[in-house]
Order: sequence, then structure tokens, then C-alpha cells
Amino acid sequence: MGLKKAGQVRQEESPAGFRRYERNYQGLLCQLGDPDPAVRRWAVRDLASYPEAASELVLLLAEEPEIEVREAIATSLELIGGRTAVEGLIPLLRSEDAGLRNTAIEVLQHLPDDVAVHTERLLVEPDSDLRIFAVNIMETLPHPRREEWLSGILRSDPHVNVVAAALNLLSEIGSERVLPGVLEAGRRFPAEPYIQFACQMVEKRIRSL
Amino acid sequence: MLDLEINEDEFCVFRELFYRRTGIWFEDSKRYFVDRRLADRIQATGSENFRQYYLKLRFSENTPEWQALTNAMTVNETYFFRETHQFDCLVNSMLNEVAANKPDGGRIRIWSIPSSSGEEPYSIAINLLENWPALERYEVEVLASDIDTRILEQAQRGVYSPRSVQHVPEVYLQKYFHRLANGDYQICEDLRGSVEFSQVNLMDPAATRCFRNVDVIFCRNLLIYFDDASRRKAAEVFYDALTHGGFVCLGHSESMSRISSLFTVRRFPDAIVYQKPTRGVRP
Amino acid sequence: MKRVLVVDDAATVRLYHRQVLEGAGFHVDEAINGIEAMEKAVAQAYDLYIVDVNMPRMDGYSFLRQLRTRTDVSQAPAVMVSTEAEERDRMWAYAAGANYYVTKPARPEHLLTVATLLTGGGSE
Repeated sequence: MGLKKAGQVRQEESPAGFRRYERNYQGLLCQLGDPDPAVRRWAVRDLASYPEAASELVLLLAEEPEIEVREAIATSLELIGGRTAVEGLIPLLRSEDAGLRNTAIEVLQHLPDDVAVHTERLLVEPDSDLRIFAVNIMETLPHPRREEWLSGILRSDPHVNVVAAALNLLSEIGSERVLPGVLEAGRRFPAEPYIQFACQMVEKRIRSL
Repeated sequence: MLDLEINEDEFCVFRELFYRRTGIWFEDSKRYFVDRRLADRIQATGSENFRQYYLKLRFSENTPEWQALTNAMTVNETYFFRETHQFDCLVNSMLNEVAANKPDGGRIRIWSIPSSSGEEPYSIAINLLENWPALERYEVEVLASDIDTRILEQAQRGVYSPRSVQHVPEVYLQKYFHRLANGDYQICEDLRGSVEFSQVNLMDPAATRCFRNVDVIFCRNLLIYFDDASRRKAAEVFYDALTHGGFVCLGHSESMSRISSLFTVRRFPDAIVYQKPTRGVRP
Repeated sequence: MKRVLVVDDAATVRLYHRQVLEGAGFHVDEAINGIEAMEKAVAQAYDLYIVDVNMPRMDGYSFLRQLRTRTDVSQAPAVMVSTEAEERDRMWAYAAGANYYVTKPARPEHLLTVATLLTGGGSE
């Protein structure tokens, strides 16, 4: 007993015992439906090597109750990326499940190139929550039209929280080009203390940096 | 030589970005510390000003610059009994919980990664021998891994400068080290033989696959240098490696909050650590 | 001095809440998501939690649910602050363990009234 000598340590093999199915694409898809979350988790991890699995992974994400599996799905989708993943995740932004919405946003934030083409469309969605999420996704998007889009929101978006989201983003990094928009936002929401606060913050930061 | 001044707004904006990425928050009192190092990095990257440098950082999180920056902003020395409160926590709290679920003679695995030049796994071993009364009732394995073979060889030789052992209590120094002719200290053979060293790249699934049923992982001051995706991957590796109810100790300024929600935070008298939930328990 | 934990992923929002609350004598700590909030909650006692909904890694509902099941954190009142204004969101907040629900953007007077109501005031 006590501290074991090196060299006596047994190295474990990976838990192959529960692989009831083949470790090929079809077999892995079957495992996505296994009642054991550990099995689902391993299958999700292995499916990261199969870009064609994107839509199946998104479907599972929408229903998966276990965090360990959800996180694995998020990681695999980030690795796979691409159009299918993005188009599958965007509808999840409307979910009533806050955890699911936020997982979708996080994955989308890690796929800026694939998301860019959808940004413009999302920014004019009737649902203000979706417009807010579009702004959130822009956090990691060094797109040449980023400031143009954000200025557009500042100037004309009717919803206070969409404007607030744009200001929050710009308080980290904005150029003088957005200043007119910032001032306009302040004029449009004179009775909103948070907007006034955020406009002042953005203005100050832009002038100092 | 460019004398770069960082103004207050630049400091605030930088501080916020660094906090968001790493969880480390610089108080206003750290202005001088931060400004100097920030100015160094701006120059080192050939950036014209803060704004240019900031934009580089902001939109490319997995560049080597983040590593260089984090390196510059954190203290990186390795030595024996570093952050000793975590070793206290190991023997006072974590191992007792772990052992409660093991039969007598059961196996307990502790994994130190990165083990670097060995100070951490040897510190763990000494703490086990000296401060865990229940040690004799179980089979305890201390596993130590690093990506760098040279540093692993160094660890296996177990030779250290006086500076590296300065926090080792004298009585342990006598017991577990030999003093060498040049003033260095070497870990005694018995202890050297009690740590299992291996070369492992944490990002390589083939290498980490065989680490299973681990009860406690020490991963201190590594993940802070990783990008988002790699950190998540590392968290998953740890999750897979751990038993249910097993523990992860990160560096004192590190946090799972930027990494993963897989683990539950636990507060013990000596330290705050992370735990893989026991089976079926998650609100 | 009453201690408040402000949990929101937007720095400007945290700063805004901080200024409002510090002005009334509260001590304010911050967290960027539910995980960091839990880390701080286990490390020190709070008199009030101000919690956003949409945050990366762990959202506000998950944080509150976990908070309410733990015995090692202060079961202080929690105000959920959210952009969502539907009645159902309010109900979910209460079900998760919030004591009060404020729609964003919060007006300073409203936030202070609620904070004082739930804690007895900052500088008591």
C-alpha cells in the first residue's frame, strides 16, 4: 500500500466495452440515440471527423438534456463549421431554452466566416431578440462592414435593447466613423438612462483610443 | 526607443479584454505593472499604437501573441510547494472524499499535467507521505506528464537549485533530498521511483486516451495560455479522465468560467477546486 | 456594508449597475457568467445577486437553479435582469429561484428601489 512504484502502473485502455455498434459513420449516428449520456458523448466527439454529421448534431443539440453531451456537441460543431452547421444553429436562437440559445450563439461566434453571410439578414429580422443575437455574434467578426451595420442600428433600430447591444460592442472598439451614429442614438432615446450612459462611454473611448 | 504612454481609457479597455479572456482582473493599483508590459508588447509586435495592437488581439484569439502577452502579464516560476494550499487541500479534503468511495487497498490516481521539471509531482508525493495519514490504506499512483521530453528527463533526474527548494521545510529537505557537491539538491531515488513520468500532448486524443479513472488532476498555469478551443478540449480530456466525483485543480488565478461548465466548483478550507459531478447529480 | 454580485457578460452593463449601486453605499463584485458567479458565491457571502439571462458558458437561469440547490452559498435574494419582457420569462425566473425581475435596460431608481427593498439598503 501507499505510494506505488513507477513501472507498476497499469495503463488503461479506452472504454471500448460499451461500443455496441461499429465505430463508423452509421454506427456513430446510432449511438446518438443511446440512453447512456456517456455513449452519446463519445459518439458526438468521434463525429467531429464527419462534416456530414452537422445536421444530426444540431438536431441532437436541440433536445439533449445532459450538459456533458451538449458541450461535446458545441465543440464538434465548432470543429466542423460550415454552412449546414450555421443554418441549423440560427433557428435555435429563437429557442425558449436560454442555455440552448446561448450555446448556439457561442458556436456561431466561433464560426465568423460562415456566419458573415447571414448577418445582414438577421439584422433586419422583425424579432428584436434575433437582432440582438446578430449583434452578439458580431463580437468576433472582423467584417469590413461591421461598423456600417452597427451604425445602421444606432441610427434607426426602434428597439432600445438592440441599440444597447450595439453600444456595448462599440464601447470596446469603435472608430470615429461610428460617432455620428452614437450621437444619433443618444438623441433618439433621451429618456433612457442606460443609453445615455453607454453613448457617453462609447464617445469617450473612441476619442481616447 | 519609443516611449509609449498608455492612457486611462486604453488601460480600461485592455483590462476588460484580458479579464474576459483569462478571468484575471488588474486593479487600478497594477497600472504601472500592466502599462509597462503592454507597451513592450505593442513595440514587440511592431504596432504603431495601442489601438492597432488592441485590434490584433481582439479579433485573433489564437495567435502566439496572446501567449506572449499572457506570459508577460503572469508570474511563471515553478518551484517546490508552489501554491501549497492546494496540496494542503489534497491531503486535508480532496483525498478523504475520494477515499470514502474506495475499498481498502483501492487505487487512487493523481495526475500532474504539465509536470514540467517535476517540482509539482514530487511536491505531491512528499505531501502524501508526510501529511496524509490514510496513505497506507490505499494504492496511490502519482502520474506526471509533459509535452517536452527534455524537461521530463530533467524531472526524472530530479536535480534542483536551492532557489527551487526554498519553500521546502527543512525537515523534508533532509528526508527526501541529497545535497550535491555544487549546492544543488537531488530527490532521493525512492521518491524518484514513485512518480510515473510520461510524454503527453494534452491535445492528442491518442496520448490521453489511456488516462482513465483519475481521482485528482493538477493542471496549473497551462490552460491560461491556450486559446478557447484548446481549453475546451483540455476540459473534455480531464472530464473523460476523471472518475465521477474526481477533482481538478487549476492555477490560483485560473478559472473554469472561461472554459467549461462541465465541472462544479467546490470550496474547501484550503482551496477552491473543481469537481466532476457524481453520477446522476446535477440540478 | 451590503455586498452585491453583479452578473452580466457586458462590461458596460456591469459598470452601469456598479455605479448605481456603489452610489447608494453597496459593495459591488462582478462576474461575467454563471460559472464565475458561482465561484465568487462560494468564496464570499453576498446580500444580493443581480443576474443577467444571456451569458456564455452558463446562463442566468442555470446559475440560479444551481445556486438554490447548494447549501454552501449565501441564499441571498436574486434579481433577474433581462431583455425579455414576456410574462412567461418572469415566471421562469421565479421558478429558477429569482425573487424579482427587472426588464433591461434598468432605470437607476428602479434598480435601487428593488435592491434596497431586498437587502434593507447598502450602507446598513
